[in-house]
Parts: sequence; C-alpha cells; structure tokens
Amino acid sequence: MRKKNLKIKFVPFEKYKKEGMKAIMRDLRRETIILIDAKLPAEEEAKIIEETMKRINGNSGDFTGIELSSIDFTNNKKNATQLEKIKSMLIQTILGKKRGMTIIGPAKIVRRIDRNPQELLLYT
Amino acid sequence: MVIRRLRSLINALFRKKKNVKIGLYGPVNSGKTTLANRICMDWLGEELGSVSEVPHETREIQMKEKVTIKQDGKSLTFNLVDTPGIATKIDFEDFVKHGMKKKTAKTRAKEATRGVIESIKWLDNMDLVMVVLDSTEDPLNQVNITILGNLDARNVPFIIVANKVDMKKSRASRIRSAFPKYTTVGISAKTGFNTEELYSSLINSM
Repeated sequence: MRKKNLKIKFVPFEKYKKEGMKAIMRDLRRETIILIDAKLPAEEEAKIIEETMKRINGNSGDFTGIELSSIDFTNNKKNATQLEKIKSMLIQTILGKKRGMTIIGPAKIVRRIDRNPQELLLYT
Repeated sequence: MVIRRLRSLINALFRKKKNVKIGLYGPVNSGKTTLANRICMDWLGEELGSVSEVPHETREIQMKEKVTIKQDGKSLTFNLVDTPGIATKIDFEDFVKHGMKKKTAKTRAKEATRGVIESIKWLDNMDLVMVVLDSTEDPLNQVNITILGNLDARNVPFIIVANKVDMKKSRASRIRSAFPKYTTVGISAKTGFNTEELYSSLINSM
C-alpha cells in the first residue's frame, strides 16, 4: 500500500483571521496539518472544537476530529526580561495576536501532540 | 466575542441575585458524573446520572436543582450542572472496541459530538465551574488548557478538582504545578476522600 504524503500548511495568523474557520476546516478535511504563527485565543480554540464536532458524521473512514495544540511564548517564558514582556505586549496590542504557535491536524493523521512549555511534538 | 465578554461581565455583576449554577467541566472520563453523583448523594440522597468506563457516557447536559451544601457553619444553594466531556475527536470505532454494535456506536458518536457543542455553549451560563481533571493523566493536554482559557476569558470563576487521588498512579501535584495560578483541590469522587475541602472551596468561591 502506498503511503500518503504528509501535507503541512503554514497559515499566518492574519490570513487565518481573514479567511476564518471555513478555510481551516476545509484544509483539515483534506488531511492537511495546519500550522499558525500565533497562540489562538481560548475562545477561538473552543470555536474550532465546536466546528469540528459539527463536521464529524460518524461514517467509516471519514473525518473523526482533530488534534490541536498551542503554546504561548508570552506566558511560558519564565525568565523573560522586561523588554521581552513589553515586546510581547506590543505585538499583542498592535497585531492582535499572541506570540506563540498553534498546530491543528486531522485525528486520522495526527495520533497525538505532546507539549512541554516551550515545544510541541507531533506524532503521525 | 465583545458581546460575549459584555454578557459574562453583566453575569458576574448580578451573579449573587439569581439561581446560582455550578457546572462540572472537564475532558472525557475524568469523573465529572461520579463527582456530581457524590455531591447529590451527600446532600440530596439521590444520584444524578449513570457512569461508565466507556467514554462519552454523559452526552447531554444534566441538572439537579436546589442542592444545598453546608460546611463550617456556612451554606450554599445552587443548581448543579453536569456537562458532557469535552473532546477534540470522536471516532465511533473506539466505541466498537468497547464491545458496542456498529449502529449503536455511530449513534453514540453523533450524540457525543452534540454533547461537546452543548458543553461549550453552556460555558456562558455558569456562575462557578469545577474543572474536573483526572490526576492520573498528564494535565497539560489541550482540552484542559482550552477549558481553563475559556473560563478565564469569560470571567467565570473556577476551581480545579484533581480527581482520582485514590489511585496509585495519581499525581495531583502535577496539576498544581501545571496551573499554579488557580485553586486546586485533590479529591476522590469515588471514595469521597477530601470532598469536605471541595465543599468549603465552593462556598468560599461564591
């Protein structure tokens, strides 16, 4: 059996905000792993879970959900200097995004994502 | 999002004037319904829902009205809301592995997806939440982080309940160090261990 190629799509946070949930869900259903260059707000993560649940139809081999994980560089950096904290705050205020990273992958492809405060490890 | 924040702020302002709702939230199989049953048995003498080792046993919001707990001369009356476990994936084949027939498993999976959506929608209705985490599992999973983040963002006060401390693999300290900013109470909903501390925390949080 031929093994499928792994597809990873990098989505800048600004593009995610512009294109919204539909585009993300479309990519996930096309078995693409999404990498976003920001920590999504908690409410946004909850929305992604809600939308995921709406798309699980329970047929064999179909979409079964997602693995989602994110890290927040602003909260997790214990030894952050004042300058780094101010920089993070400015980025968040001006661009409306939290310094960090979010990975979302279809559960059929991504078995699990392990996290430690500064790293994410994805298993397929 | 702005409207939601405004609504939660207004809810917070008028929290003490209406029927208090205390919700049980957490990932699947963390022991939410076992804790709901423990609370209801302790104070009402009857259970709230059925429990099972098969995931997603609770697939609908269940509520017990007018539960009054008393501790240290103080009391609190509230409506206890047990919610379906939150998950990011639901595969009917997992239920088949637990011995269910394919058709039943598919129905259960569909109901479970609706349950997750309901749980998330109800977040805004809560006055206080007990986030029930399984202390034998890694606390830093995304579902836990998303639940806590949402409660924080919506200004809903909460207590982390490190459940299953009666089990050998339990490490409640891992939960405390993963979420040092928040109040964590280690209990066993199954045996009733340390529920007095949880009751005190609930009363003091309102």
